[in-house]
Amino acid sequence: MPGGNCNTGRRYAWLLLSLLLSACASYSSAFHPIEESLAAREPATALELLENQNHSDADLFLYFSNKAMILRMMGEYEQSNEQIEKAKSLIEKFAATSVTEEASSLVINDTTRTYIGTPVEQVMLHTYAALNYLEMSRVDDARVEALQVDLRLRMLMQDDPDSALSRDPFGRYLSGLIYEDLGEWSDAMIAYRKAFKGYQAHNGLYSITVPEQLKKVLILMADKVGLTDERRGYEKSFGLSLESLKKERKGTGELIFLFHSGLAPIKLERSVQVLDPASRQLIRISLPHYERHENPIRRARITLAGAKSYTGSTELVEDIGSLEIKTLEANMPVITARAIVRAVTKYNMAKKAGEQNELAGLLVNIADFVTERADTRSWLSLPAEIQSARLNTASGEYAVTVELLDYNNNIVFRQELNNISIDGGRKQFLSFYWTSASTKTEH
Amino acid sequence: MFKSMTPARRAALLSVFIPMFIAGLLTAGCGTKVSRIDVNEIRDLSGAWNDTDSRLVSEEMINDMLERPWIRTYSLQSNRRPTVIVGAIRNLSSEHINLNTFVGDIERAMINSGRITFVASSQERQEIRGERKDQDINAREDTRKAMGRELGADFMLKGSINTIIDMEGRTQVRYYQVDLTLISLTDNRKVWLGQKKIKKLVKNSRLRY
Repeated sequence: MPGGNCNTGRRYAWLLLSLLLSACASYSSAFHPIEESLAAREPATALELLENQNHSDADLFLYFSNKAMILRMMGEYEQSNEQIEKAKSLIEKFAATSVTEEASSLVINDTTRTYIGTPVEQVMLHTYAALNYLEMSRVDDARVEALQVDLRLRMLMQDDPDSALSRDPFGRYLSGLIYEDLGEWSDAMIAYRKAFKGYQAHNGLYSITVPEQLKKVLILMADKVGLTDERRGYEKSFGLSLESLKKERKGTGELIFLFHSGLAPIKLERSVQVLDPASRQLIRISLPHYERHENPIRRARITLAGAKSYTGSTELVEDIGSLEIKTLEANMPVITARAIVRAVTKYNMAKKAGEQNELAGLLVNIADFVTERADTRSWLSLPAEIQSARLNTASGEYAVTVELLDYNNNIVFRQELNNISIDGGRKQFLSFYWTSASTKTEH
Repeated sequence: MFKSMTPARRAALLSVFIPMFIAGLLTAGCGTKVSRIDVNEIRDLSGAWNDTDSRLVSEEMINDMLERPWIRTYSLQSNRRPTVIVGAIRNLSSEHINLNTFVGDIERAMINSGRITFVASSQERQEIRGERKDQDINAREDTRKAMGRELGADFMLKGSINTIIDMEGRTQVRYYQVDLTLISLTDNRKVWLGQKKIKKLVKNSRLRY
């Protein structure tokens, strides 16, 4: 019964197709519900949703990273660091190129490769681990992370020495803060200097300037380690003077307020038709691109009220969104080339199958169409920006108020946080998250 | 039976069974496998600081410390064994080293030598004092331990673990340096300095399966 055979064949074919289709929902769209609960400022719900999702082994890095970030938002720093360590060990394990994954990514798509983060995301893991430790007042452990940031950046420099993206200014700045807190002035000086050079290098790529707080600390630190010439150079180029900076310092305690604003841009896919130069065939490829979230908040203002009151405004110290977009732009030629090779391979497979059997040819064609997906994986719970304010205060107990200001300097949100006590000897770190940025804008 | 099928059916069957077979092969090796190994056996997995390093360093360093003349000098002067306490041992390396096991190894090596009296660290002391306070109210009089009879330490052991990592491509040289210092609590004299270095060459493959 030839008809029956054909029916069975079709049934299997549909089965195969449905299998293929089910595996094809893009990563970033699956993250949408989590994003919504983050936008509603409900990290506990977001965590529950994340834990109940299915995660393929190839996406484990993102599961750990997202979980770490959400736990951090909930103030669970210890647990957050456990997740970060898991993500870090995946990087070590899967850093080597996999022969089988490369092969399958060339016939199916790039999402079959084990994801171990973009360079920015890898550095961010250490940054957030360090912040977790700092917020638990475990400065020595944060110091370990500072050294790991250095190692990570050295590795990135090896891979791509000319790229400004191989220098992460905020990672260096935070390392400087850690060394300074431990009284290791010369290490702090080196880290601050590297941060300064990093900001200068990034300045040409997107709009980021050297933060005022870094300029000030460069002058103060250069003075502390006795680099008089260097200090004078900074004073001249920044238009600041050591004397006035010293006067400005009102007490021995310091609060470092970090405002994690918005959510990192989301990766989406876009299909384009390109002409394969070899076969002169029009082929369809899918490429990733970023879309930024709209964030009405420009900066935050923090007020400490105690025996005396102190106010500070945050300034941009890390533009994660722009970093991610620039990194993708830099990788686009490679991603496009891979997509073209893949499309040509698939086209040839379909052609060969079609020559032997029409139905098989059609099936392979459909399978190609369905499996051609862009890799839209990225660490979506990362903030779009990190802003920071340093407040030099007297020791004591303070009531903390955070106000968020929009681009017209109107206060759009106000929250009183738990009281903090600042003691003279140590720096106090405080993080605040604003994840309500749900409307998307085209990038 | 397989041969009697039409080519189309055979192809369809194969298209289902071959991936299943491959999937079976892939998952076959995934079950958890546990085998016990001796604690003294050296197993280097990632090149990071591990139990072997902790054990070897603490044993070697404490042996060195016990052989040095400060013990004899002290015993001759004061007619008793020196009392030592472990102070802060800082992790200045680029790895999250579990200092508890390292400090534990050091304490064990010192106590078991029998040449040193060893007192509890400040954190442990708080707990003991709490217990004594509790005894003061709740314990029978003849079993009650009095306050103010603690043995004060003569020396404090302090130290740090440092790393220097040099790399080229996927090859790393990891250099660990452990420094321990024994400081006299009476006059801040440093009576012993110990140093142990470990160097490891770690080569990571560029390719994996």
